[in-house]
Amino acid sequence: MTETLSFPDPTQLAVPFFIAAILIEFLWIAMKKRGGRYETRDAVTSLVMGAGSVAEGILLGFIAWGFLMVLWDLTPLDLGTSVWALVACFVLDDLRYYWVHRFGHRIRWVWASHVNHHSSQHYNLTTALRQTWTGTFTFMMVVKAPLVLLGFHPALVLFAGGLNLIYQFWIHTEAIGKLPGWFEAVMNTPSHHRVHHGRNPRYLDCNYAGVFIVWDRMFGTFVPEQEDEKVDYGLVHNLGTFNPLRVAFHEWLGIWRDITQPGLTLRQRLAYAFAPPGYSHDGSRETSAQIKARHLARHPQDRGTPGFTDRPPGPAQGLRS
Amino acid sequence: MPLEFLLILVIGGISAIAVILHLTGRSHRAVLLPEDARAAWHRHFPDDMIVDVTVAHDGHAALVETEQGPGLLWSFGADTVGRHLRDFDLLDHPQGLRVLFHDFTAPQVTLHLSPDERRDWQARMTPR
Repeated sequence: MTETLSFPDPTQLAVPFFIAAILIEFLWIAMKKRGGRYETRDAVTSLVMGAGSVAEGILLGFIAWGFLMVLWDLTPLDLGTSVWALVACFVLDDLRYYWVHRFGHRIRWVWASHVNHHSSQHYNLTTALRQTWTGTFTFMMVVKAPLVLLGFHPALVLFAGGLNLIYQFWIHTEAIGKLPGWFEAVMNTPSHHRVHHGRNPRYLDCNYAGVFIVWDRMFGTFVPEQEDEKVDYGLVHNLGTFNPLRVAFHEWLGIWRDITQPGLTLRQRLAYAFAPPGYSHDGSRETSAQIKARHLARHPQDRGTPGFTDRPPGPAQGLRS
Repeated sequence: MPLEFLLILVIGGISAIAVILHLTGRSHRAVLLPEDARAAWHRHFPDDMIVDVTVAHDGHAALVETEQGPGLLWSFGADTVGRHLRDFDLLDHPQGLRVLFHDFTAPQVTLHLSPDERRDWQARMTPR
């Protein structure tokens, strides 16, 4: 059994590439006067969030590593480190990413960690680096457990996860339009991921893919970018601060305040932490499903079009803070 | 990658990008006209019925009267942020007014107002 195995951290090695690509994108936008927008404080906030995320990985990465190594000691399976093992691990890890990402939008506890990635009103390569500082506390490392139990070494799993994140860097751009049809059909692309970052009712809670958009097509969460509806980036309730600490922790604080308010039942307190974002016991907030329903009430002609094809939702479905 | 090298790369990279963006004019705050303010408010609160919009003389903030109550819209970098005026404190500021929202996601805004604007806005923002 492969006991001692180490791979380089691809996200750390990619830092020079990230910086160069951001400068190239910015120069391209400045010269062409199209393809996106940059704003100083927004970009700096995103970059500081990225640096903090790397620091969090260095400081707390041992927790996920320790958990996965315990599983590795338990499993009798070892698929080795061949190229085929890496390819299989990469594809399955992308399926893992799809579900973790979907949980990240549908479970407030996980959304609290992920929300910062959506908190910019801009969409450029710096937005890709606006990453979480609190991912460890979501305990989403448990979704990696099946991969390790299947015989993929934890080092291979983490390496595949790093490659996945690097792939997603380049799709955070408005400088690239739509790519050839076969590519858009299989791969996650700037067009698909722009939609994911939209706060338009049509674009809420869709396109969770990391590398392969086929997962969204398979699980019914795919919405294509519409020529006649420009993506409006950011949160439903946009932040009024560039302070990275507030960006990183605001939703966790929101959960704390909600679950500790007086007069709630235990079920309501749990719902504030684990129901979809936007849950409220008194109906004072809106879910993404309610936002979509409200949009359809104003624009009934949109019913049945992409992003509005579901049945009318119940009150607890699909929420956004 | 050695940690020291990573630190230098990250700090140097962030600094370089910040300087380039600032020197090429990417630090300018959005300047609002009344019609911009209306559209921006509807972007944040699509269901609100706007009654009146008053834009500050510097164009960086707007007081929005809606049927749902008063609201404040302000420049946030190149974009805008809006909040209903429901839970906040209003403080005097040498250049106008400072709004302290009881909101972790939008803690405060400094409004640059002329003396006349300041009197008018203060009266209209103070909860009755």
